[in-house]
Amino acid sequence: MFEARLLRSSILKKVLEAIKDLLTQATFDCDDNGIQLQAMDNSHVSLVSLTLRADGFDKYRCDRNISMGMNLGSMSKILKCAGDKDTVTMKAQDNADTVTFVFESPNQEKVSDYEMKLMNLDLEHLGIPETEYSCTIRLPSAEFARICRDLSQFGESMVISCTKEGVKFSATGDIGSANIKLAQTASIDKEEEAVVIEMDEPVTLTFACQYLNYFTKATSLSPQVQLSMSADVPLVVEYRIQDIGHIRYYLAPKIEEDDS
Amino acid sequence: MGILGLSKLIADIAPQAVKEMEIKNYFGRKIAIDASMSLYQFLIAVRSEGAQLVSVDGETTSHLMGTFYRSIRLIENGIKPVYVFDGKPPEMKSHQLNKRAERREEAEKELQKATEAGDQASIEKFNRRLVKVTRHHSEEAKELLKLMGIPVVDAPCEAEAQCAALVKSGKVFAAATEDMDALTFGAPVLLRHLTFSEARKMPVQEFHLDHVLQGLELNHDEFIDLCILLGCDYCGSIRGIGPKRAVELIRQHRTLDNVLRNIDTQKYTPPENWDYELARKLFIEPEVTDPKDIELKWSDPDEEGLVKFLCGDRQFNEERVRNGAKKLARARTGTTQGRLDGFFTITLSPNPKRKAEDDKKNAAKKKAKTSGGGRGRKPK
Repeated sequence: MFEARLLRSSILKKVLEAIKDLLTQATFDCDDNGIQLQAMDNSHVSLVSLTLRADGFDKYRCDRNISMGMNLGSMSKILKCAGDKDTVTMKAQDNADTVTFVFESPNQEKVSDYEMKLMNLDLEHLGIPETEYSCTIRLPSAEFARICRDLSQFGESMVISCTKEGVKFSATGDIGSANIKLAQTASIDKEEEAVVIEMDEPVTLTFACQYLNYFTKATSLSPQVQLSMSADVPLVVEYRIQDIGHIRYYLAPKIEEDDS
Repeated sequence: MGILGLSKLIADIAPQAVKEMEIKNYFGRKIAIDASMSLYQFLIAVRSEGAQLVSVDGETTSHLMGTFYRSIRLIENGIKPVYVFDGKPPEMKSHQLNKRAERREEAEKELQKATEAGDQASIEKFNRRLVKVTRHHSEEAKELLKLMGIPVVDAPCEAEAQCAALVKSGKVFAAATEDMDALTFGAPVLLRHLTFSEARKMPVQEFHLDHVLQGLELNHDEFIDLCILLGCDYCGSIRGIGPKRAVELIRQHRTLDNVLRNIDTQKYTPPENWDYELARKLFIEPEVTDPKDIELKWSDPDEEGLVKFLCGDRQFNEERVRNGAKKLARARTGTTQGRLDGFFTITLSPNPKRKAEDDKKNAAKKKAKTSGGGRGRKPK
C-alpha cells in the first residue's frame, strides 16, 4: 500500500507544470524516504531529477517500494481538476496497475477521486557522479526566467560565463546581440532577492535556450534558483521546494565541432 | 531484398526492440547510409508528375535531386552522414539477381502491353518496377557527395555489411538502410526511414540488435540461422515454413543443422543443393574493408563546384543549389548540442517486478495460442 497526502495540491500541480513540457512520461519511484523521479527528455540532452521527501508530506506511507510509470500529460490533466487549496492524496495498492488521486476541498464538502492507468516503462537511469562545481550562482528565479526569455529572442543558444566580477548571459543572432550582466549583491537585506556567486575558477559554457526555457517553468516553485557549472560538464539548475525537496535539471552543454 | 518478413516478426515478438524517433533526435550522430538503397528510393520517389526528373539529354537526375536535398536535411538536423556504396555482389547472390532480372523482363513486357492499351496507371506502375540503380547513377551520386563535403565509402562487396562493420567499430552510431540484413550482419543499431521524404511524416524506426536478440531469445548465431530460414538474399528457404514456425524451430533446435535433422523433410523440402552454410559464413564474415582503414572526414561544400555540376545540363535551379550549399556551410559552423549520455553513464533498469509479470503474461498468451493452433495475428 502506498499513500501520500499533501495539504496543498498546488505543490504537486506546480511540479507537474515544471516537468510536463520536457517529459511525456516518467516513473515515480516511491520508497520509505519519499518519492523520486529521474528521466531524460527524448533527445537525451536534458535530465529532470525530482525529490519529494517523505517528511514533507502530511501523511506518507509506503509499505513496499513501488515504481509507478505515469503519462505526465494525463497526470497533469487530472491535477488541473484540483483546486489550489484542496488536499491531495495519491494512493496505490502494491502491484497495482492504477494510481488514485483524491482531492478534498478545505471544508471537506467536496471530495473527488480520479483513477489513472499506470504505464510499464523501462527507463534509462543515469548515474550522476558527485561533482564539485567550479561555479555556483544563486539568483532570484524570476530574474533567471526573464533572462532566458529575453535572450532566446536573439539566438538559439546562450553563453553563460561566470567570472569574479559577476555572471554574464549573452546571445547572438540575426538581429544582433544581447548581453546581461549580473553582479553579486553587495548587501543582503532580502535573501530571496540576492545574487550570490561562489567561484573557484571562471567558467564559460554554451547552452540551448529552448531547454533553459523549459526549466524555468519551475519558477513558481521557489523564489531562488541555483546554477552550478564546471567546464565541459552539464549545467545543473536547481529549484528548492520549501520543506519537501527539490527539482534539478541537468543540461548538456553545446560543444565545438570537430571533424574527426 | 533483405530478410523476408523480419521487421514484422520483430514488431510482433520483440516490440521493445523498435523505437520510433524523430529525425531531430539524431543530432551530432554519425550515421552510415546504405547508398544503393537510398538512390533506389530516390529514383522511385523523386518524380514530377510521375516521370523522373531528367537533364537536357534525357538522363535521369532524380537520384541527384534526392541525394542533394535529403542530405541537406540530415545535415541541418545535425546528423553527419556517410554514404556507403555497394561493390560487386557476392556470388551467392547471383541467383537472387537473376530472379530480379527475370522480373524486370516481365515488367518490361507488361509495360509494353500497358502502353499499347494506353492504361496510364499500369504504365506508371511498371515503369517504377523497371527502375534500377546503375553504376553511372552511383558515380554521379559520389561526385555530388564529394562536392557537398560528405564522405563516401566504397564497400568491397555488400553495402549493408560495410555499414554494419562501421557501426560495430564505433566509427558511426547507426546504419541507415531499409534492408533488415544489416542486423543479420551484426549492426548494433539500424535505422529505417531516415532518408524518407519529410512530407511523409514517417518516424524513424530504430532497431537495437541486443534488444532484438533478447526479445527473440536467441544469440547472434542463432539469429543468423533464423534469418536464413526466413529467406535471405543468398540462398533459398524451406517452403511451408513461415516466420512463426521459423522462430519456434530455431528456439527449439538452436541451429539450422539441428532443425534439418528434426523436421519432416518430406513435408518441408529444403531447396536442392541448399548451401546455407555458405550463406551463414557470408553473414558472419562478410567481405568488408576494415573500419580501421577508413577515415571519415566531413569538409566544407564546394558551392561553385555544386552549381557547375547540378545546374547547366542537369537543369537544377541555381538559386536553390546555392541556398543548399549555404545551408551546408552554415551547419558546419557553430556548436553542436552535447548529450547527457556522453557525460553520465546509463544503467538501464527495467522494472524487475513488472517485467517478471509481463513474462508470465506472455507465456500464458503463447500457450493459449499454440493450443488453439491459432494462425491469428497477435493483436496490437
